Amino acid sequence: MTDRVRATASVTARLPAPAHFVLGLGILLGFAVLGQALVTTLHLPLPGSVTGMALLWAALGARVFRLHWIADAADGLLGILGLLFVPATVGFLGYLSAGAAWGWWLLIMTAGLLFGAGVAGLLASRLEREDT
Amino acid sequence: MIWITVTLLAFALGVVVQSRLRSPLANPTLIATLVVAALLLLVRVPYATYLRDVGPLQGLLAPAVVALAVPLYRLRALLARQWRALIVGGLSGTLSGVAVDVSLARVLHVSDDAQRSLLTAPATSPVALQLAHFTGAPPVLAATLAVLSGLLGALILPPFLSALGVRSPLARGLAIGAVAHGVGTARAREEGELTGAASSIGMGLAALLVTLVVAGLSRG
Repeated sequence: MTDRVRATASVTARLPAPAHFVLGLGILLGFAVLGQALVTTLHLPLPGSVTGMALLWAALGARVFRLHWIADAADGLLGILGLLFVPATVGFLGYLSAGAAWGWWLLIMTAGLLFGAGVAGLLASRLEREDT
Repeated sequence: MIWITVTLLAFALGVVVQSRLRSPLANPTLIATLVVAALLLLVRVPYATYLRDVGPLQGLLAPAVVALAVPLYRLRALLARQWRALIVGGLSGTLSGVAVDVSLARVLHVSDDAQRSLLTAPATSPVALQLAHFTGAPPVLAATLAVLSGLLGALILPPFLSALGVRSPLARGLAIGAVAHGVGTARAREEGELTGAASSIGMGLAALLVTLVVAGLSRG
């Protein structure tokens, strides 16, 4: 079993970069689909993609999947993560009619963000272990 | 496909502006959002049409979130050693954010729809979208406020954390991810791989916690 995994790994390590990228993208999409299928069948109120991230993390940890199969595609996609949210952020256009209410919404969100991040940041830096 | 082109070029413009200005407001996601929105209003194209056109681009979001497992795996030894700081810090941060959002929305008498939507704003927008069914919020408003909250966090949190004296990459990343999820994580990654990985953990914990809070409220 481990011999076979090792043999596969040596084959994939010699793949040219474009093939690596395609293989990685395929695996990442596969985990996104798997995560979505899991939350749908189990009725979990979690996003499929975050579930897929946890599954991939577990698969990498268990050495079922190798880091170099997906590293190129993962680094490429994460480099443009900010771009991939633009279609969603433009959605505020649908609520332009809310007008002045936006002022209150932004104020409340700002307060929640500052307080929440302040608590998390201060607590985490206090609890962080020094022995690195 | 014209709107995919516009979105890509607007984001590229945002990256160029960011490299020139070095201001926290010069965020590529913010700049692209404003440029695209202005053009849509100018040529009177409704958001639904835009969204249909950029579907392929949005299809890459799910595999990109899955890809966050890679930095988590690379830094697994370091993250495992700091599990207490990550879990306690992340959960307390998200819970504080939710508490402020909910109580302030009630005190300020914003509309019921907005109150219910703000409850899920500290969780990533797909979570907010799915939880809208339980909170009774309009799903699109819940998802929109969540993603905008992330964008707002990406802009204001890094300088705010510096002002508070939070310097460790782990604590900064966690704090950003705990309340500003995906867009915040994209911003946190600009500070380094550890900041980004801690932010992904904060985002994952926030998704779980907000889900549990909503489940508890809708049952009680």
